[in-house]
Amino acid sequence: MIRSFSWKKAIFLVGLSIFLLWYPKLADPYFLHLTVAAFLAMILSSSWDILARTGQVSVGQAGLFGIGAYTAALLYNWVHLSPVLGMLAGAVIAGIVAAFLGYLTLRLRGIYFSITTIAFAEALSVIWLMTPGFAGGAMGLSTPPLFGGNREQAYYLILGLLALVIAVIWMIQSTRLNFAFTAIRENEEVASVMGINPTRYKVLAFMMSAFFTGFAGGFYSHYNTYIIPYEVFGLGISIACLVMPIFGGLYTITGPIIGTAVIKAIEEYLRVTISYGHQIAYGLILVMVVLFMPEGLVGVWRKKILPLFKPELKNP
Amino acid sequence: MDWASFFQSFANGLLIAGLYASVTLGLTLVLGVMGIVNFAHGEMVMLGAYNAFWLFTLLGMDPLLSIAVSGLLLFFIGLLIYRFTIRPILKDPPLNQLLLTLGISIFLQNLAMILWKADSRSVITSYSGMSLHLGMVHVGLTRLLTFLIAVGLTILLIFFLYKARSGRAMRAVSENNTASWLIGINVQKTYLLAFGVATGLAGASGALVSTIMYTFPMVGFKIGLKAFCILVLGGLGNIPGALFGSLVLGLTESFVGTYVPEGSGWAEGISFILIMIVLMIKPTGLVGTRRE
Repeated sequence: MIRSFSWKKAIFLVGLSIFLLWYPKLADPYFLHLTVAAFLAMILSSSWDILARTGQVSVGQAGLFGIGAYTAALLYNWVHLSPVLGMLAGAVIAGIVAAFLGYLTLRLRGIYFSITTIAFAEALSVIWLMTPGFAGGAMGLSTPPLFGGNREQAYYLILGLLALVIAVIWMIQSTRLNFAFTAIRENEEVASVMGINPTRYKVLAFMMSAFFTGFAGGFYSHYNTYIIPYEVFGLGISIACLVMPIFGGLYTITGPIIGTAVIKAIEEYLRVTISYGHQIAYGLILVMVVLFMPEGLVGVWRKKILPLFKPELKNP
Repeated sequence: MDWASFFQSFANGLLIAGLYASVTLGLTLVLGVMGIVNFAHGEMVMLGAYNAFWLFTLLGMDPLLSIAVSGLLLFFIGLLIYRFTIRPILKDPPLNQLLLTLGISIFLQNLAMILWKADSRSVITSYSGMSLHLGMVHVGLTRLLTFLIAVGLTILLIFFLYKARSGRAMRAVSENNTASWLIGINVQKTYLLAFGVATGLAGASGALVSTIMYTFPMVGFKIGLKAFCILVLGGLGNIPGALFGSLVLGLTESFVGTYVPEGSGWAEGISFILIMIVLMIKPTGLVGTRRE
């Protein structure tokens, strides 16, 4: 845990904030759009990591993402609720659904949870396809552009949300929650002997994760102006949510952010070269990371690259 | 009540349950012996189905003959996957094994998408249209053959596990791998063989899938998801449970397809609802007790 105040870090953070606030004036619309998409993905991967801190692997984040997306779009279409409030509603509903799903599955061995989440997202997709009267069915739903199509405002909204997610993760890391989550991940029996109720903390982590994922879903539906069940409930989103943070390095603030940035760059390149099946990179990355770099990019940086510059770190 | 349609749905459910059983048994075997839930199991089925499809399309080989080819091919692919990816991380936390097999699954799905496009392909043989009439029920010949072969494979596996030396070694290892090692069982070799047998079985089931369903890159994912559901229904890693779970899922899907309006669409979502019901009432599965 980092408690010590360092000038280097403070200057870096202030510089980064100024740059990020200034960014929309510098970037051209295409880059601004890519940045918004990348920030959205960073929110998804960071919030997946919140749950992963308790040792649980969700393979169905798309279910929560889709709930957020559809809640926001439906509330707009029915009662013209302001988009930001709609996103908030989507986040809350995703959190409630996660509480229910988590309560049933998180008391069991982790694998039950993983299987249930994957089936959950698929089931939602079936429900949406089969109820065209309720939510547009396979045709999907559309909403008018967010903030009248003003990308700068959308950028500031997603930047604010990303900052909030990072603040929450920072809070988790620097409070007792960190010990609870880590203890549960390392050994659940020992954790319960220490007086931690594993199920309660796992459900809490899942709800936090779902809240931000749902919010991101709501943002996506308004920003993209168009959602279809195949996409928002699709396996592709669930996979992206977990591969990006694993690639970057789990249980850190920087890991999911860096992993997402690198993968988004690769993806943008692949999207242009091969249109179908570009998620093959996700599969390859997942296998490689598990086999050769279990701590992700952050681990490689700490263990392999940093010691080259600071030889004293070699034998700590 | 219309008894003809009742018996018809019962027969359809039973027939598809046979296929579910032969897919799920491989998954159960790997879980029981090595404690790993193989997320790429469905993709082995998908590869088996494509193999049968291409053998039929390019060489005109009957899909029922290519079962053996698919089975053998996937047996060897399974050995390679085990040797080069799973064996190095056997001692890692279970999380890593889950992520690894998930990675293999995503890789193969997308590889199929790139190589063979997202088109749905089907195998149509000279006897595809034929059907038999048994009283009120009429049964497609292909479905019946598929069912019989799936049941045959299932019986073969069970026979292997109880009678063959290496099959019994697998059961011993699934009970207790340290003790098995102490009495001289080669645990590594048993793992390797169990994984190969499981993927081979999946490959053979894939050839069956190609005859009664469309073959497309996500077919393995769809069937794999059902196999996971059956796993939860039956209790993780127990064979009678897997058989019973297959029957429950097959029949439920079939009855929902018949009696619920637009049921065939809804049937695809049944797996999830069954999982939730089982987790609510009896998380250890519908039959017997769970083995750790």
